[in-house]
Amino acid sequence: MIANQIPLIRRELWEHRSIFVTPIVIGLILSLGVLMTEGMLTAHTAEVDIGIAAASNLPDESHRSAVINGLLFIPSVIILIGMSILVIFYSLDALYAERKDKSILFWRSLPVTDAETVISKALTAALVIPLISFVAIIATQLISMILTSIWIMIEGGNAIHLIWEPASLVSLWAATLAGMLMLSLWFSPFLGWFLFVSAFAKRMPLLLAALPIIMLPMLENWIFGSKIFFEAFLLRTVEPVRDAAETAKASFQISENLRVSSFIADPWQAIDFANFFAKLDLWAGLIVSATFITAAVYVRRYRDES
Amino acid sequence: MTSLVKAHGVSKHFGNVCAVDDVSFEIKKGRIMGLIGPNGAGKTTLLKALLGLTDCDGELSVLGLDPFRQRKDLMRNICFIADVAVLPRWIRVFQLLDFVESTHPNFSRDKAEALLEKTNVSARRDSRVRELSKGMVTQLHLSIIAAIDARLLILDEPTLGLDIIFRKEFYANLLSDYFDEERTILVTTHQVEEIENILTDVMFINEGRIILDTTMDSLADSYVELMTSGEQASKARNMGPIAERDIFGKSVMLFERPDRGRLGELGELHTPSVADLFVAKIKGAAA
Repeated sequence: MIANQIPLIRRELWEHRSIFVTPIVIGLILSLGVLMTEGMLTAHTAEVDIGIAAASNLPDESHRSAVINGLLFIPSVIILIGMSILVIFYSLDALYAERKDKSILFWRSLPVTDAETVISKALTAALVIPLISFVAIIATQLISMILTSIWIMIEGGNAIHLIWEPASLVSLWAATLAGMLMLSLWFSPFLGWFLFVSAFAKRMPLLLAALPIIMLPMLENWIFGSKIFFEAFLLRTVEPVRDAAETAKASFQISENLRVSSFIADPWQAIDFANFFAKLDLWAGLIVSATFITAAVYVRRYRDES
Repeated sequence: MTSLVKAHGVSKHFGNVCAVDDVSFEIKKGRIMGLIGPNGAGKTTLLKALLGLTDCDGELSVLGLDPFRQRKDLMRNICFIADVAVLPRWIRVFQLLDFVESTHPNFSRDKAEALLEKTNVSARRDSRVRELSKGMVTQLHLSIIAAIDARLLILDEPTLGLDIIFRKEFYANLLSDYFDEERTILVTTHQVEEIENILTDVMFINEGRIILDTTMDSLADSYVELMTSGEQASKARNMGPIAERDIFGKSVMLFERPDRGRLGELGELHTPSVADLFVAKIKGAAA
């Protein structure tokens, strides 16, 4: 069961090159953005006072640390958004493409069970894609910091003192990785649903996946006058985004009144496993996800492709 | 165990349509069985049932396993080529070999490489399947299959869409690289004439039912074709041929369980081709 996962996941990476390409392209664009910003800063040093350069104007280490960590968090968020879109398209394609190109008969001619195959695709979406994106995040952050160090050195500053010492890289990376895996678990009902749609859709899996999400709350409200589905959907999608926005707002207060929230200086503090795993909603979501994934296995197994 | 495949009362319904209707047969070790039938006869459905790709009613055992419920175990000892199109088009040749090597316990990478070495594919290890010609894809697929130490090989229209040279080569390679007395082959094709020389057994299927199941040896005993004309033709006609056709003004009649002595006096006797016998049987079943 487990021995087959490595070749199966490797196969997913061969087939879906966007898993690598997307984070690398976003990372390169961001690095280029850093380079251009620094170029512009050099041209308008007097007027512009943003970016990592601003850290040098901050009075003490803790403020500097907060700003650096906050700025380093920007590429994480952008790569995360790109990754989310990637996961949606990947999971909708995962069990659809092999039927469309008829290669499913070949895959099924090997001694690999349908459960192993579907699980490899779920693992790719929930674990492998986040891990690859995580590596891209680290690389982008390091490239940005190296570019900035060079720029600071050219401008006559001390890069080690200004950005490398205040940056809480280990705490930031640990928090990013943990946060990404928590997000995977939290959003897993969508992953399960997409894989299930991908297993049965004859065409247009994206449309088929989106329609019920839009139609069900409307139908529920119309027929029963209730909003249970809609509220569950909001709880799953809007609330974490609102929480993230609150966090971001808290961190931006630094520039206004120089109040440093502790978690931005040490991002790992923001990770609260106990609270996360104690949420009933999380476990309910995981059950929904497991149900859809099981259904996808059965569809792949029982569906007649002729 | 000499019977690799045992089917007893196997049926498969799709709604009201009965694709396979109460079929019973056995395939013994070391045979090459041809499964011949017109389009929509239930060939593919039957093969799918054998491969565990679809559930069915009745008793079906392949290598002593229930194909649908023990598919993974079954796939260790069965190979199949359904059509040349089934290899994923995006995969590169070396990736395909890597994948099969890492998932199939009975696959020999060395043997696959050695077989590929003899083909045009050997110089194209880094190419994607979509960049190869249809003939090369088939060679690649057959090389992989031949490198799997499997006891049963199922081929469903393996040479569809290939030109005559590749088709001839395919069956020649199949016999030289794959087949031995430990292995068994079940093959379906429309091009019966190309495989009848290699078959040891033949089975006709029409409208979901098996209408003939015989060895090629006994086929030659059971059926005879008489070529005759004129008055002798009408005498022969009275002996109840199962089919008749005209070639160059002569009548060619097909007899089941013939009285060779009497027929021999009426004209030339031949062993009928599988294709002619097939046409006669299908028409006979329809009449």
